[in-house]
Amino acid sequence: MSINRVTGRLLTAAAVAALAAGTLSACGSSTGSSSGGGKEASSMYTWITNENDRAQWQAFVDAAKKKDPAFNLTLEGPSFNDYWTKVKTRLSSSGAPCIITTQAARAQELKDLTVPLDDMVKSNSIDVSMYNKAMIDGLTVDGTLRGIPYDAEPVVLYYNKDLLAAAGVKEPTTKYTTSQFAGDLKALTKDGVMGLAVPPGFGSGPGLPLAFANGNEPVKDGKLDLTNQGLVNDQQFAFDLVAKEKVANAPQASDGTDVPEQQFMSGKAAMIIDGPWMYDTLTTKTQGKVGIAVVPSTSGESIGMIQGSAFAIAASCKDKDAAFKNIMKITTPEVIGAVGAARGTVPSVESAVKDWAGTKPAADVAVVQALLKSGRPLVTTPSWNQVETNFTQYSGEGFRGSKTAQELLSTIMNSAK
Amino acid sequence: MKRTPARGGHGRLAAVYLAPGMLGFLIFIVLPLVASLVISLFDWPLFGTPKFVGLDNYVRLLTGDPVFWTVLGNTLFFAVCYTVFNLVAALAVATWLHNLGSWGPFFRVLFFIPVVTPMVANALVWRLMLTDDGVINSFLANLGIQGPSWLSDSHLAMGSLIAMSVWQGIGYNIIVLGAGLNGISPNLLEAARLDGAGAWQRFFRVVLPMLSPSLFFCTVMTIIGSFKVFTQPYLLTLGGPGDSTNTIVLYLYRNGFSFDKLGYASALAWALFVIVMLITALQFSQQKRLVNYDN
Repeated sequence: MSINRVTGRLLTAAAVAALAAGTLSACGSSTGSSSGGGKEASSMYTWITNENDRAQWQAFVDAAKKKDPAFNLTLEGPSFNDYWTKVKTRLSSSGAPCIITTQAARAQELKDLTVPLDDMVKSNSIDVSMYNKAMIDGLTVDGTLRGIPYDAEPVVLYYNKDLLAAAGVKEPTTKYTTSQFAGDLKALTKDGVMGLAVPPGFGSGPGLPLAFANGNEPVKDGKLDLTNQGLVNDQQFAFDLVAKEKVANAPQASDGTDVPEQQFMSGKAAMIIDGPWMYDTLTTKTQGKVGIAVVPSTSGESIGMIQGSAFAIAASCKDKDAAFKNIMKITTPEVIGAVGAARGTVPSVESAVKDWAGTKPAADVAVVQALLKSGRPLVTTPSWNQVETNFTQYSGEGFRGSKTAQELLSTIMNSAK
Repeated sequence: MKRTPARGGHGRLAAVYLAPGMLGFLIFIVLPLVASLVISLFDWPLFGTPKFVGLDNYVRLLTGDPVFWTVLGNTLFFAVCYTVFNLVAALAVATWLHNLGSWGPFFRVLFFIPVVTPMVANALVWRLMLTDDGVINSFLANLGIQGPSWLSDSHLAMGSLIAMSVWQGIGYNIIVLGAGLNGISPNLLEAARLDGAGAWQRFFRVVLPMLSPSLFFCTVMTIIGSFKVFTQPYLLTLGGPGDSTNTIVLYLYRNGFSFDKLGYASALAWALFVIVMLITALQFSQQKRLVNYDN
């Protein structure tokens, strides 16, 4: 064998090996990630459904920069609906961000992805009692805190004042019974306008907020309790409003929450049950003036279903202390208050609620404050995503009257055990 | 046996050149296959500790999960309807285009556009058309007809998905069958015509047998593709109402990536693999009887 042939073969083999190695390393590495954990500690994986979401996260950064001009947070993430699926795979890949957003309702589900914050809270002398108690309860998993909440949002009932006035319906306030609600919806449903706009999801209502208002919850002692009679009755009440009373259009499984919100904003529906995070959007973009009330209950005294979000630290994070320090910079009362004032999220810190209240009507502020006081967190189980997914898929049969709430909730509970 | 130096040298060089491809095949095809088989024997959350459960996932799939049989039935129904409608329509359109003359290429492109358009975009457009107050029901309302809930009525939802899928996929088979029609010798058709065969006789006695290799290819590919249906139910119905449009791949995706049950999802993947292999093997076993390769 000549030297040239040997050299040629070696070069060929080397080129092939280099190509393969280059391809594999290119596939395996993340874009621009550093290995020391420093960059990841100031990166956040969160939901960025639209520019509105991005602006909200940027508001946190901007507010934190007022105290620390060098502070920065890089953002990445999918839409809200995709987030709960994709966060698991994103955090299992290399170069994953250290900070992730979670919710009280999802804390159980994401518990393997997040780390307990108790020791870091203690060593940094953080007074957790300043945050909304319901949110802290919701974010506590197996006795350990898994996130620092930035908001605490009790679900409310939005109504179109102009449509109510036209139908001769009295505006609801901080007390509202389900029988009044059903009667009002009937009176409002006429001339192409529906009384209520309804999404197909479980947490997005109306069944679950109605159940909460009556003191019925989907989880008991850490286990799914979807078939407790109170919850079943409340969900059936919601189904019947659509299937029997015909005061709302039956939703389709593929409808996002934006579909009923559009119905409300365009004046095709007079009421909608939604979160306070939609307050600015619904009050400014709806055709007609908008007010808010408590979600109705049998007695009229409503218990708020508190939803809210928090910042947590990924279990894969290499520099958890640095990540925690960054979280603390965006969860001070000043920052949370500033974001509440700028973006409308209800602050998780009571002292900052005044910033959120701003120039809002006193009646609306009173509703939220009443629900914050009575509110209970939406605590779920690790299989909650399955509950939500299956409910969205199956609820069409309930809203069309072909299945009862008992049948659907039993099926969902059995499959999600 | 004495090996010539040149032959041995070429063999080694060929191995070197093939190595990247083989490496990719091993890493991205064989390894995931083996891994999914192994994972299917575990209760395997993405985070948390995997637990060996042996064949439990398969036992549960076959005996303890009523949803599996529902999604299997839905998938088979979709596969049969989609394949039949697709092939019959594609054959009719391809024959029409074959005889259309100079306008043929224009319409061929028109029918092929949905194939190259992203499925997600197509599905979203169809969703807008099929919603309760969408374009189709608005059109029907103008005629004084109350349109049904195309995507929310469990009796209509699967039909809506099949219609959308046929519209999306028919262009591919039109091209393949069109090429097959172009390959049929005009002399054969002329000879049949001189023998007194009418148009239908020429189609069934000459065109179809000569087209059978193309039809066989289209049938195999369409059936395999139809078993993998995912995007349409995911975007149009989320598998609902109830489980009426839930398919194996959608159920597999949900178990793996939404419900965090990777072991069970892998078992579903292997069930799907076995079903598709059996059906494809059945088709190939009938190939000699049904397909005419005599030119």
